[in-house]
Amino acid sequence: MMNGTWKVDARDGKLAMAHIYVAFVALALGGLAGLLQVLVRSGKFELPAGISYYTILTTHGVLLGLVLTTFFIIGFQFAAVSRTAGTLSDRVRFWGWVGFWLMTIGTAITAFYILIGEASVLYTFYAPLQAHAGFYIGLTLVVVGSWISGFAMFAHYAKWKKAHPGQVSPLLTFMSVVNMVLWLICSLGVAATVLFQLIPWSLGYVDRINVLVSRTLFWYFGHPLVYFWLLPAYMIWYAIIPKIIGGKMFSDSLARMSFILFLIFSIPVGFHHQLVEPGIDPAWKYLQVVLTFMVVIPSLMTAFSMFATFEMYGRSKGATGLFGWLRKLPWGDARFFAPFIGMLFFIPAGAGGLVNASHQLNQVVHNTIWVTGHFHLTLATTVVLTFFGAAYWLIPHLTGRVMTKAMNRLAIIQTIVWSIGMIFMSSAMHFAGLLGAPRRSAFSTYGDAPQALEWVPYQIAQAVGGTILFIGIILVLIIVTNLAFFAPKGETEFPVAEVAEQAERTPLVFENWTLWIGIAVVLILIAYTVPFIDMIQNAPPGSKGFKLW
Amino acid sequence: MKTQLNTNTSKTKVEKEPPLKGTLVSVLFLGFFLIFTWVSVYFLFLNRL
Ligand code: HEM
Ligand SMILES: [Cu+2]
Repeated sequence: MMNGTWKVDARDGKLAMAHIYVAFVALALGGLAGLLQVLVRSGKFELPAGISYYTILTTHGVLLGLVLTTFFIIGFQFAAVSRTAGTLSDRVRFWGWVGFWLMTIGTAITAFYILIGEASVLYTFYAPLQAHAGFYIGLTLVVVGSWISGFAMFAHYAKWKKAHPGQVSPLLTFMSVVNMVLWLICSLGVAATVLFQLIPWSLGYVDRINVLVSRTLFWYFGHPLVYFWLLPAYMIWYAIIPKIIGGKMFSDSLARMSFILFLIFSIPVGFHHQLVEPGIDPAWKYLQVVLTFMVVIPSLMTAFSMFATFEMYGRSKGATGLFGWLRKLPWGDARFFAPFIGMLFFIPAGAGGLVNASHQLNQVVHNTIWVTGHFHLTLATTVVLTFFGAAYWLIPHLTGRVMTKAMNRLAIIQTIVWSIGMIFMSSAMHFAGLLGAPRRSAFSTYGDAPQALEWVPYQIAQAVGGTILFIGIILVLIIVTNLAFFAPKGETEFPVAEVAEQAERTPLVFENWTLWIGIAVVLILIAYTVPFIDMIQNAPPGSKGFKLW
Repeated sequence: MKTQLNTNTSKTKVEKEPPLKGTLVSVLFLGFFLIFTWVSVYFLFLNRL
């Protein structure tokens, strides 16, 4: 019961698909940029026509880190709330379209300024690098558009709650709401630096900028950003994969609890990206690192829950022995296989994350290409493969088609290609990083310095892996195009899992938003107020803007 | 505030816990892997001090 409609309404499907198209266009263009990067960094290739490496890298980071993710997530969540809490009202859908168009126009403006070479400031746009104001204005529209879509989802949730007093909301709707609350709270930080610092400064209204404040506001946003990417993948793992394999969810309460913990602990932790930054008292860095490590709890809860789901299913099918259940999983089904491989990659990804977040170990890897290797595991494999796996049923569901056996097979191959490419590229990045190779640098042997020469073989491996990955991008684009426009007509299920019989009942306390948002705000205030005041009161003279490309 | 209310499955609780030995071993292995990685880089850090 309570799954609302079985099928996403066609009008809602259109809204979701619009987002998904933009996401995959971003994947195509961003993937091409990625290919160029690995080729340049191999030292065997130079960009033609004086194109800057940093223009390409900015394109890659913005299109894949910001555009692909945000669009896919919002599109997926609109579909998920429509599926589980019922068809959107005309008003909610209208505002969803407003959000979509604002985001799309904003993306076009930002992309324009990047591509004409006026904004090679990378996707983190740290001051004192200064882009054309159009870059920041475009990004503002993207963020405002996402807020509108977020509020549209909240309105839809509120309507469901009103119609079902005293009932626990559908899991996927609840999770979408948590993710948008997280997004809303954290994007206030990036909005503040863009509106009050970067735009006035890039327009020349003010001459100088407080660099530390702008970086701090960025990372107040930047870390929760990675959870904004990750939580939709967790939605798919918790609430959809069990259905795909034919099993049940291990526990609904555990899933909700882990989402609430992510909401609480993923925001007051931005300093773990600023561990080597002067101007922040180490005591505050320490506090935020402790809070960072709290995220280990919901992460391990998720790992446990996934293993348990798989084992329960396998045993229900008669599996014996310690790991016999593994053999019962539907390995030939790309809707399962792609996200499952994503989960596996999350193990080294998480291990690397613990290293990054530890102050001393951070000094070993800070700003090296290790970090790039790390988030190509988390984002560019775990999250992205999960999204691909979801696209394999979501797109045909929304376009009224079915995935053919041939396409399913291609999707399995795609997953394998991606894994091989990523093992090469990401491992090379991790090892080169441990040897000190910097991220965000075009090829250089630094005057044939012996240390820099050590990196070259890894950079070649990186190029091999990156090229294989690019083939993976072509494959997924073929599949997605097929599913959207050419696959045979038919009905595809939007899978939503049920909870196992043994699971505890879900308490309503998870939907006590005042409580959870209140705790989140209190933790944010504790973690940020004093150091933030310090940054303003004891600020050095601000910096002028620089255009180094 | 009410705390206990309905969920997707309102069936009564089954007493027996499912046997999740594989899960236990898997998460233990995961934990060891995390510690192993952390300690490896920690020694690298110490070596470079
Ligand atoms: C063909 C596939 C891909 C290749 C070959 C590739 C390659 C690279 C390389 C070499 C860098 C670092 C360059 C440097 O620091 O100098 C990089 C950065 C990055 N990649 Fe990828 N990547 C690919 C796919 C992806 C995907 C799918 C995502 C995200 C969904 C992604 C997100 C990022 C981000 C956010 C950065 C950081 C940019 C920055 O440091 O400013 N990449 N990529
Ligand atoms: Cu972080």
